[in-house]
Amino acid sequence: MERKLQGRGMAASWYGIARTATIDRAGAWAELDDGGTAKIVTGVTEIGEGILTLLAQVAADELGIKPSEVTIGDNDTARSPEAAHAGATRQTYMIGNSVHLAAREAKKHLFEQLADHWDVEIDTLQSFDGEVWSNDTNLRITMEEAVGICKARGVVPVGSASFTAYGTGLDPVDGSGSPWQTYVFGTQVAEVEVDTYTGEVQVLGIWAVHDVGRAINPRGVEGQIEGGVIQGLGQALMEDYQTVDGHTTTHGFAKYILPTSLDIPQINCTIVEDPDPLSPLGAKGIGEPALVPTAPAIMNAIYDAIGVRMKSLPATPEKILKALKDKVPGREMYVQNARKQRAQAHRT
Amino acid sequence: MPKLKIELDVNGRKISRETDAYKRLLDFLRDDLNLTGTKEGCGAGECGTCSVFVDGKLVKSCLMPVAKASGTKIETIEGLAKPGDLTPMQKAFHKTGASQCGYCIPGMVMAATSALRQNPNAGIEEIKERLGGNICRCTGYTKIFEAVELAKAVIAGDMPEDALNEDAVGDSYIGHNVRRLDAPSKVSGRLRYAADMKMHDMLQLQVLRSPHPHANIVSIDTSAAEAMDGVVCVITSADVPDDTDGFGVFVHDQPIMARGVVRHVGEAVAAVAAEDLVTARRALSKIKVVYEEIAGVFDPEDALKDGAAIVHDYAPDNVVKHIPVRKGNVEAGFANADIILEDDFSTQQVEHAYLEPEAGIAYVDADDVIVVISPSQNITHHRHMLSHILKKPINKVRFIMSPVGGGFGGKEDMIYQGMLAIVAMKTHRPVQLNFTREESIIASAKRHPSRVHYKMGLKWNGEITAIQFNMLSDGGAYGMSSEGVMRKAAILSCGPYEVHNLSVDTTAVYTNNTPSGAFRTFGGMQAQFATESMMDMAAEALEMDPFQIRRINMMKIGSRTHTQHTLTAASLDRCLDAAEKESRWENGTPNVRGDKRSDLGGDDTRAPCTLGARFTSGKNSDKERVA
Ligand code: FES
Ligand code: FES
Repeated sequence: MERKLQGRGMAASWYGIARTATIDRAGAWAELDDGGTAKIVTGVTEIGEGILTLLAQVAADELGIKPSEVTIGDNDTARSPEAAHAGATRQTYMIGNSVHLAAREAKKHLFEQLADHWDVEIDTLQSFDGEVWSNDTNLRITMEEAVGICKARGVVPVGSASFTAYGTGLDPVDGSGSPWQTYVFGTQVAEVEVDTYTGEVQVLGIWAVHDVGRAINPRGVEGQIEGGVIQGLGQALMEDYQTVDGHTTTHGFAKYILPTSLDIPQINCTIVEDPDPLSPLGAKGIGEPALVPTAPAIMNAIYDAIGVRMKSLPATPEKILKALKDKVPGREMYVQNARKQRAQAHRT
Repeated sequence: MPKLKIELDVNGRKISRETDAYKRLLDFLRDDLNLTGTKEGCGAGECGTCSVFVDGKLVKSCLMPVAKASGTKIETIEGLAKPGDLTPMQKAFHKTGASQCGYCIPGMVMAATSALRQNPNAGIEEIKERLGGNICRCTGYTKIFEAVELAKAVIAGDMPEDALNEDAVGDSYIGHNVRRLDAPSKVSGRLRYAADMKMHDMLQLQVLRSPHPHANIVSIDTSAAEAMDGVVCVITSADVPDDTDGFGVFVHDQPIMARGVVRHVGEAVAAVAAEDLVTARRALSKIKVVYEEIAGVFDPEDALKDGAAIVHDYAPDNVVKHIPVRKGNVEAGFANADIILEDDFSTQQVEHAYLEPEAGIAYVDADDVIVVISPSQNITHHRHMLSHILKKPINKVRFIMSPVGGGFGGKEDMIYQGMLAIVAMKTHRPVQLNFTREESIIASAKRHPSRVHYKMGLKWNGEITAIQFNMLSDGGAYGMSSEGVMRKAAILSCGPYEVHNLSVDTTAVYTNNTPSGAFRTFGGMQAQFATESMMDMAAEALEMDPFQIRRINMMKIGSRTHTQHTLTAASLDRCLDAAEKESRWENGTPNVRGDKRSDLGGDDTRAPCTLGARFTSGKNSDKERVA
């Protein structure tokens, strides 16, 4: 046998968006502010996924200003509306949509004043990137001027909104129910090289395809996929929190091994957009789903490369070597049995 | 404490200070000079968040005693560019989206800067190796590599400087790669996380943790600790009203501090607030706790046996939660199968390893509101629970979410905020608690380990006729998110396939191990690892391509899920098609045929690596490579 063997494997996955088997909700406030800027207040803080930038994009796009002109208030239970927890792949879906709706309402108040001021129909009004205009006219001003007009007429353009995702609880006996209103799907392919002398596995390539509904910030989506893939790779090959009679033996990063820059495969992301029909933005989410298929895709690739199936994570070099040693030449028993059975079935 | 006079140059300014001799360079920078861009991720030289330049060399400042830094020239993240400005490297990190939570980023920027200072022409392999001492848990490193290569090209003049600017917007900001608005503060080290914040008159809190996995607490004597100079208060569960003491994401089974019994190693037993960190730490050793060890249970299968130690009285069977899902008729499904595959799969406990250890501050404001600032992933629920525990109206408890240096579900549990709040109430002074890495690892929840027994029946044509799926998970000492994790694992269990007959059971049990809780995918990956392995085995048994067997069974619009929800949208067909095409997948049965495939080693893969082989010397010769 050659020392280094390569192989490929794949895995598919699915996931639900927002909180599970319950009604999920999130609130937001919006205000078009002086200078054509905006304030958005909602219960959210960055946990690293890029939500603040995403919300600024959503608000800016709806209001017709630039994302850099959006200020997002702090997440504070005494100062901002409830948007609940930063988890469950719910931030884009729940808070994104509630900010979108709040911004829409603030803009409506502005447009009502402006339509009256210009004496045009409200649905001729549009705004983008700091400008407001009325279609088929030469009426065009900056958002700063528009806010000035609105305020001079005695109106502060504010909006608020709540967004709901309808999930239902599960039946206690048969588990039936509709736990989420929207689902995402994904598929990943892994290419690995296994060193049959050392048992070391290197992942050389990952092709990650994920439906996100609508990619608000494609680069941000890629970042989530890449991060998820590498957490999946860590769990697949090296990470292992261990205890002996309740005492950990992995108390620090010297013992608890994490992926570093040298473990990183080339990650090729493909974003699929199947817009969610039940929400105004159409976006779904990506935080958690990105990690789901990675470990099985890698294990399936290891099998393809060396013919041993790693059923217990992580597939450390020690486990791989042991599996190689225990391997009976030829195909695994269940495959041989399946062949025999099938041959028999064809005969009869 | 012995003092030391330190003279050094920091970011171009002469500094001459008296400081405590025990300090590390990291402490001196952060505490004495307020340069909090340099972070403490591990304190042991393993993560790189504390990277600075000492006399031009990249150094982990957590490993250097401050005395050794005297007389040197130090450069920190704050000194790379003038305030308000960014270096090309920092701009490149901004442009490519290389910062996520940002906690590793100052150290990463230092390492990247060092890489190009060492070798402005470094190739990608060398860059990767030079970043090898810096851990990032969020980004998967890919955008960081891209940033370093972009900066390299701009610095070398191979690309124009405006390559670092934001792309021009088209006709919508939706779908546009807007640069992250929080990145400038992260790449420059300006963003303050909870451990970087200081308040006037602030106390430092330290926690005494259980050395035993299961023991009764006979007595706690705090008097010697309380008598120490500089100690302001010591708290135990006696300071929490006992009828409301309990938190948890689903079941409120965890006390703020152990109440009469400890259930896992590392559980909080008492806490000391003192004028400074060292005094608080010393005082911990003066607290006398008498334990009476009791039998523990450390394996989830043992936990279910008769006579097993009982972890919580309310659950004499040690079951945290069992979720059943049933659909169709499994017996008939298996009877109808041409082949039946049966196997076992297991996954391990996994640490979140966010680079920012837990940290927080609490104080009581002028309106008698108890305010807790921490990187909590669920301030809404924490406020609810804490107001109940403290018996305060809900508007008298306020949670502020500080920037989170990575969470991944691990910061959903209210494992320390309660102690902070109680000290703030008792002392009416601000108080801060910063976990060490070791403390974070033993006290915080992990990903649930799982054992799955799987049985799958299929027709010769690849159609799944029935699945029986049984998962047992070790929930550890407290309930935390176990219930939700079991529910999600059950709902997603059999994967994105329409299975007409299935029987799924997921069960989490209590043990005296480190608790398991929420972790990115919430049970979804454990379950689908088993399913996707089975699908690959089935493909081989049926001599089918792995894509093909999935297409035969995949959920489509109108499919009924495992919980009998009819789908109105489904995109797996598109995902499979794209993955097959993008990866240039070569059709075939999974088996040992790797070296016969022609789809391997394409441009869209990286080269395998040999450690140390990447540093190219002046003359490029393979022979000079170091093994
Ligand atoms: S290497 Fe210094 S804090 Fe981790
Ligand atoms: S961005 Fe690197 S650890 Fe979060």
